[in-house]
Formats: sequence, C-alpha cells, structure tokens
Amino acid sequence: MRPSEPERLGGVVRALLSHYWRHRWQAVFLLAGLVAGVALWSAVQIINSHARASYAEADFVLGAQATHWIRSRSGAGVAQADYIALRRAGFRQVFPVVQARVSTADNTPLAIIATDLLALPEGMAGEGDALGGANLDWLAFVQPPYRAWFPPDVARELGVADGAQLELHDGRRLPPAVLAAREQQGRQIFMDVGAALALLGRDTFTALAVGPVSPEVAARLAAALPADLQLDANQQRLDLTQLTASLHTQLTAMSLLSFAVGLFIVFNAVRFSLWYRRPTLRTLRLVGVSVRALALAIVAETLVWSVVGTALGLVAGWGISHALLPSVSASLQNLYGAVVGAELLLDPVTIAIAWGMTLIGLAFALAWPLLLQLRGPVLPGGGASAGVLADARARRVLLIGAGVLALAAVGVYWQMASVIEGFVLLGLVLFAAAWALPQALAGAHRLLGRALAGAPLVQRWIVSDGWAQLPALRTAMMALLLALTANLGVETLVGSFRTALAGWLDQRIGADIYVNSAQLDTRGFVADPDNAGWLAAGHARTGVTLRWQGRPTKVYGLDTTTPDTRALPLAQAVPDALARWAGGERLILANEQAHYLGGLRLGQSVTLPTDDGPIDYTVAGFFHDYGNPYYQFYLPREVLARGWRDVSSTGLALWLKPGVSAETAETALVAAGVQPGEWFAQGDIKRLSMRIFDRTFAMTAAMNMLTLLVAGAALLTALLAIVHERLPEFAQWRALGVTRRELLRVIAVPLALFVTLTWLAAIPLGALLSWLLIHELNVMSFGWSMPMLWSPTPALKLGLLSAGIVALVLVIVLSQLTRKLPQAMAQLGSSQ
Amino acid sequence: MLSFRGVVKRYAQPEGEVTVLGGVDLDIAAGEAVALLGESGSGKSTLLHLAAGLDAPDAGRITVGGQTLAAMDDRALAALRRGTVSLVFQQFHLIGTLSVADNIRFQAALCGRLDAGFEAELIERLGLATQLGKYPHQLSGGQQQRVAIARALLHRPALVLADEPTGNLDERSSGAVMALFRELVKAAGSALLMVTHSRDMADYLDRRLWLREGRLHDAPV
Repeated sequence: MRPSEPERLGGVVRALLSHYWRHRWQAVFLLAGLVAGVALWSAVQIINSHARASYAEADFVLGAQATHWIRSRSGAGVAQADYIALRRAGFRQVFPVVQARVSTADNTPLAIIATDLLALPEGMAGEGDALGGANLDWLAFVQPPYRAWFPPDVARELGVADGAQLELHDGRRLPPAVLAAREQQGRQIFMDVGAALALLGRDTFTALAVGPVSPEVAARLAAALPADLQLDANQQRLDLTQLTASLHTQLTAMSLLSFAVGLFIVFNAVRFSLWYRRPTLRTLRLVGVSVRALALAIVAETLVWSVVGTALGLVAGWGISHALLPSVSASLQNLYGAVVGAELLLDPVTIAIAWGMTLIGLAFALAWPLLLQLRGPVLPGGGASAGVLADARARRVLLIGAGVLALAAVGVYWQMASVIEGFVLLGLVLFAAAWALPQALAGAHRLLGRALAGAPLVQRWIVSDGWAQLPALRTAMMALLLALTANLGVETLVGSFRTALAGWLDQRIGADIYVNSAQLDTRGFVADPDNAGWLAAGHARTGVTLRWQGRPTKVYGLDTTTPDTRALPLAQAVPDALARWAGGERLILANEQAHYLGGLRLGQSVTLPTDDGPIDYTVAGFFHDYGNPYYQFYLPREVLARGWRDVSSTGLALWLKPGVSAETAETALVAAGVQPGEWFAQGDIKRLSMRIFDRTFAMTAAMNMLTLLVAGAALLTALLAIVHERLPEFAQWRALGVTRRELLRVIAVPLALFVTLTWLAAIPLGALLSWLLIHELNVMSFGWSMPMLWSPTPALKLGLLSAGIVALVLVIVLSQLTRKLPQAMAQLGSSQ
Repeated sequence: MLSFRGVVKRYAQPEGEVTVLGGVDLDIAAGEAVALLGESGSGKSTLLHLAAGLDAPDAGRITVGGQTLAAMDDRALAALRRGTVSLVFQQFHLIGTLSVADNIRFQAALCGRLDAGFEAELIERLGLATQLGKYPHQLSGGQQQRVAIARALLHRPALVLADEPTGNLDERSSGAVMALFRELVKAAGSALLMVTHSRDMADYLDRRLWLREGRLHDAPV
C-alpha cells in the first residue's frame, strides 16, 4: 500500500529533523539564538506594556490623578475643621493628604504620604481596593497603633522587618511596619492620616485632594472654601504615556538589537546545520522526494522551531523582565516620577508579535537558505572551490547591502524628526557597519598575509588559516561588532551624561544647605537678625505651576543677587543675557527642554497666563536642566510676584559664613519649625543625585551586558562549529606532527585577529553612535544637550572583556578538542 | 625501524568487545617497503594508526626507530610524527589556505628539515612545477595526491605509513602514482608500510603481509 501524502511528508520531516538528534549541539545553538533573542525582546515588551498599564491606573497615593488641590494661601496647611465642614457640605470627592519628609536615625531621607482611607472617593482606589489589592488588613491601618506600609525594596534597604518600628533621626518611631508591594506607591511610606499627624506633631493637612468632579461641582467647591483656602486645578497631572514614550522607545530599540544579535546565533547554527544536512537533502532528492515535499517539510521544521523557540524565549523573557524590572522602575521614577508596580503580565499581543518575529527571523535564517539549496542541482559540483567562491560572493553581497543601508542612513539623517526615525537611523548605521565588516576583515587579512609574505611558513600557515575560519566566524563577528558598538556608544553617552551632570551639579548646587519646608517663612528666616551671625546669603525661590504647550510647567522666581543666580550657566543666550534678564526687561530664561522639545528659540516670546491675563516674555537664554521632564522658566523673583500674587515658596538655599558648622544652621532651622529631613546638605544632594543617576542607567548597563553575552554565545557557536566541521582536518594535522599548542594557535590567532579588528572597528563606530545618541537622539528624547566626552577607558574595558570572552570560548573549545581529537585521529583514513 | 610485539587492540561494540588485533608481531627494517593487505574491517588501518601513535594498543609493545611509543607523552609523539614518521592517506588533507609550494614544504618546515635540492627533485618528478602558485582547490585529485606525497617525503622521514594512498584515483593514475611513490620513498631512504586491498599496488613493494582475524600472515589465508 502506498503511503498517503501526509505520511510521506511526515517521513521527510522526520528525516530532516533527525539531523538534530545526531547533532544535538546544533539544536542547542539554534534554540539558544532564538531563546536569547526572544527572551531579551519580550522581557522589554513585558516591562513596557506593564509600565503603560501602570500609568493608566489612577492612584490616590501620588495624587497625580487628583483633578484639583485645595491648599492654604498662607502656607499654614488645611485645618481639620475645614475638611470636616466640606465633607459635611456633601463634597465627598475631597480627601486629606499629608506629605512630609523625615529622616532615619542614619539620616536617610524618607517620604511619608498619608490619607484617610475611609474618605477616599469611589473609583479612586477606595477603602477596599487600596489595601485589598495588597491583601492587607485595612482596619489595622486606621486604628491605633496604626501601620506604616513600606514598599518591600525600601524596607530591605532600611533593614526594616515586618512589624518593626523604624526609628527616626529625632528618636520618634513610625507605626509597626507592613511590607507589601502596590502599584504607584513608589518609594513612599504610606500610613493613615491620623498616624501621620500624630507622628509629625501637626494638626493640619498638607492639602486636600479632589477626585474627579464636574466643573459645576468644582465651582461650588471653590465657592464653599474658607478665605485662606484655594482650589487649584492639578497642573501636575501627567500624561505619563507621552512623557515616558522616549524611554520606552529606547528600551524597545535595545531589545530589537538583542533580538537581531540572537538571530545572528540562529544564522550561525543554521549555516552549520545546512552544511551537515547537504548529504541528507541530496539523498532525499535522489530517492525521489519532490522539491515541493521538501519545501513543505522545511516549512514544517521552521514552524516547529518557531513554536519551541518562542515558548522557551517567552519563559526566559518572563524571568529576565522580573530581574530587570527594578532597574526600569528606577529609571522611570527618577526620570519622570512615574511609578511602576511589581506585577508583570504577559499579554497575547506580545506572544503573537514574538512568534511573528521569530517566524520571520527563521524564514530568513533557516527556510530561505534551505529552499535556495533545493533550487540547485541534485548533485553539487565545484567542491571546495565552490565554498570559497560562495564565501567571497556572500561577502560582496553583504558589502553591497551595507552600501544601500549607508545611503538609506544618510537619507534618514537629513529627514529625521522623531525619536523613532532616530532609532531607524541608528539601526541602519549599525547594520551597514555589520554587513561591511566581513569584507573589511577579509581585506585586512589579505593585507596581513601580504605583509607576512617573507615570514616563516608556520607563521604564515597560522595566519592564513583565517581564510578557513572567516566564513564560519563572519556572522559571529557581525554580532560582536553590533554588541561592542552599542556598548561603546551607550557607555560614552552615559559617561558624558554623568560628567555633564556632575559639573552641572557643582555649578548649580553652590549653596551649603537646601531647605524645602512648608512650615518655614523663608523671607523672614533670611532677614532674621538672629541668623546674621552664620548666614552669608539666602536664596528663597518662589514658583507657580501652570501648563504650557499642554505640559505641566514650573515658573520660578529667582533672587537675582545671589551667587547661584549670578553664576547661572546658560547653554545658549543672547548677549549679556543674565544682566538684562535681572534688569527687568521682561526677559525670561527657559530650560533646554523648552527649546528642544517645546520648539522655543532665543528671542521668541513665551505667553504665560498671569493673574492679570496673558503676558509675553522674551526668551533671553536656555539653561541646562538635566533629568527634568517638565518645561521650566526662570523670572526674577519680583517679576514673578507681580504676575502671580499667590506664589508659593519652593525652597531656600543657604550659604554659610566661612568657619560656620552645618549644626549651627540646622539648630536655627529646627528653631524656625523645620523638621529634620526637610533640609539637605550640599554634599548629600550631590551624592543622592549621582546615586539616582546610576540607578537610572542600571537598566542600560544590564541590557548592554546581556547583548554582549549573546554576542559571546554567537562566538562560541561559531568556534564550536569550526571545531566540529574541521575535526578530521585537525586530526590530520596532528598526524602530521602538529602539536596541541600549535593547533590551538591556529584556532586562536586568526580568531584573536578578527576580534581585535572588530574591536578596532567598533571604536570609531561607537563614537559615531554616541555622537548620534548625544546630539540627536538624546536631544529629541529628553530635550537636554551635553558635550560628548570620549574616553578610551570604555573601549579598553570592552577590549579586555572581549579578550576574556575569547579566552573563555577558547577554553571551552580546547576542552572539546581534547575530548574529540583522539577519536578523530583514530578514525583517520577510514570514513572521512 | 618499526616493531610490533604481541600487540593487541580491542574495540567496544554494541554487541560486545571485538578483538581487532590479537597479538601482532611485526618488524620492518630501515628502507624496507611492506604492503599490508586484508579485507575491509580486518584491522589494517588500526595497525597503521598504532604504528603512528595515533591510537594506543591494549597490550603489547610498539617501537619506532628504537623508541617505545607507550613511553612517549603527547609532545614526544607529535615530535615523532613530524620528524620520524610520515602519513599519507586516501584523503589528501592539504591545507586549503596555503599554496601548493607551501603545502609541499609544510611538514619539513615543522621539523626544520628543508632540503632545497630534494624539494626540486620531488617537484620535478611529481610534475608539480607549474602548480606551485596554485591552491589545493584548484588541483585535480591526482595532483592533490602528488602534493600530499611530496609533503610526506620532503623531510626524508625514517618511516612512511600510507593508507590506500591511491584509493581516490582511477586505475591508470593509480599505477603511475604508485610507481612514482615507491621510487620517491626509496630516494628519501624511508621504510614504508602501506595498507591496501589491491594486490596490484602491493606488487610495487618488497614484501606483502596479510591481516586476517587479528593476526599477520606472510601469504593469503
């Protein structure tokens, strides 16, 4: 009986797949490439979609979604009686908020936020939801001795165990700790408003927050407020999705790079599986299997790999996303104040896209080369020369492709207007370089061969073996170039940013102490004759928050006479900008974000809504404002006070007289009603800023390292393939008297040569990448500029790391050789 | 030059241990050329591998040029193969990245025994003078085998071990190459142990031995 079509196809698929049973390492590498690519890409996708979901969740804790705030005009806070009166008048959307900064016994600053759980409006994480989500006993929160809700990572940092009462700087103790993670809590410690008032010794709330209300209710509420209270629309409400889009795009770009590097491993593995399967394919065709049946079998094989690779990749991606989430959360919170929760979700869209990308990748890497092989004659001709010619042809095709990509990159560069286009440009540059690399390596190798023409034969042999290795190493070198270039580019970006930030902090954080306290009468404090003995200068800043170009925008009033204002560094300015601005010429200073993201230019007018209607201010200069997602403007303090009569104090900078200790100033501040934790010494701010910076870029470093590891895996795959493919040849060399050391040299020297050339190529490319990142992408993404600082250190570090990877790979390869060579030598001459 | 005393070699097979060589005794004098015949799977190649130190016997003693192989470490064995023993296989295993000239000099360069006069003689007699600048993939099978022979003989090894050296060539080429091979081995002053299953090829050599059921015989059994 003749077998049916599916039976025949099943037989062909089994014959094709049986190859992997005999050559399991090839299956492992094929899977490793797929899994590495899918895992890194999906990890970022999981984090991105999770972060976006987090932004969408309204949350009372930050008050970011409150539609309005009720605040005291005098700064005295909101009396409990006023709050009760409003509730009794039927304003159920109003709830109290107490915010404070305290410091622990070892001076670690802590943010405390408190509200009345029983008063939260419905639909804004009501009583049940607020704690129910974290599966906590909410009744214990609202009754003495209360509970202090710590995010687990903060508790870990502070060494606070469940039920422990954290001691503060002044000996007070927080309520017993409860450790639980919840969306949007961030690094704040949450407690009931009664507990916070008792702890802080206050009888007023910081403010009242208002949940979603209609304009009519808002108008009635404003009318019902006592004289000292005012209703403000919440200008701080953020469109986090819009703000964080750049960062998510960057993460996605990095994950796509990882996916591409993963695909290089697949290409590698497939190349060798193809080489091994040529006889199988030939035999199948010789015994009468049609090209159509083989093509169908190849498609079936591709599907099998795509499903297995995607499934395992997603599982690994899930694990990686858990590991990376703290770093991404830190980046998001530090850059944008956006808080991302701890629960990750894998949505069907991510699964579908991962599978789709894997299929497309496999179609290029596996199915297409297999099908090309089918198109050829049943019996191959040309032998070894065909392989040499095919390699040269492949290099030429890649070089032509590189030229096309480079031209496209130039085209995109001139038209570039968005972050996504910027990343397309980076992708084109990176892949153009990667595709040009094999021909560049061949060229350099040829030159070296010519230079060694008169050298002893053994030396020439060792170097010339590079020609035999290049076809196998080609793909791995491209992957390595991508990883090294990305690492160098990003390292230079981060290094430049860190240096710029440190310099900027040194210039801007010139005062000795910074105070941020709602209780302090800043002007009175500076003018107080009792403080004249230690206080050299005080700069009380005032400010208002409004919306400009649809974004929350801060306008600060600066004292034009203080040292920090006089030395304010400007990135761009009209001539004599600071003096003219201080002279009251209705000039305004804007941060770089307003220039690069808001499109503002020097000399242009900014129209701001003052108490007396819209007023135009002319832009006199742009100042650096690293890490700020908002637009920001500076006006002289008097000008701000004229335009906005209810400005609030936003902080006080204090310069101490020479020889005065910080304790003297701190004693005076405490006497003026400032709580510990509401002031910071200059050094603490700088240290904290740099720590935040490093946390912010932790994710970048992690992704870079993973990409490099994937490239290392590609290198290992290629070398192991070389060893397996050339084992009979190596055995023959050993039979000719080649020692193990010489054999290792033959493998290692060309590899070291190619890795060194790739590393050298990555240095200028990395510089180009960092130039694009700093001067184009960074400006488009975040709106701030910085000088690019190129240092040889990252290149040297990466060189050493690459050498380490090569050494590790060689050790693995050598152990394989030691294990397999004796058998190969014993089989010499039999069935080679 | 080459001596086997009571050499035993066994292989583990799924169906149990198989004794390939069951106590082989063999002596080949300096300059002597011996053909080793036998059916496929009789252990001819195994014997050759043992003689080259590519594999180790389970029992017995093998000496090459008076040196006992069992007493030699990996480095000493490599030195033996590069200077004293030369191997010629059915597959030529030329180094694809080196020119024909460099392939010919390869083993002599490894052991530092280049002899320009003998090199010129080998090249001329093997008809390779016009091929020296080419690369192995540009040569025919017969030409590649001639290069492999030149490589094996240039440093005048004391012992040449050949495994079906003409097995990849057609009948006419085989005869010509074999005759030349025999002459050149003699010119190099080397002893030769050649595995073959062809009596015609064996006829070119001084002595014939048959390997059957793990033992050597002077005549076909």
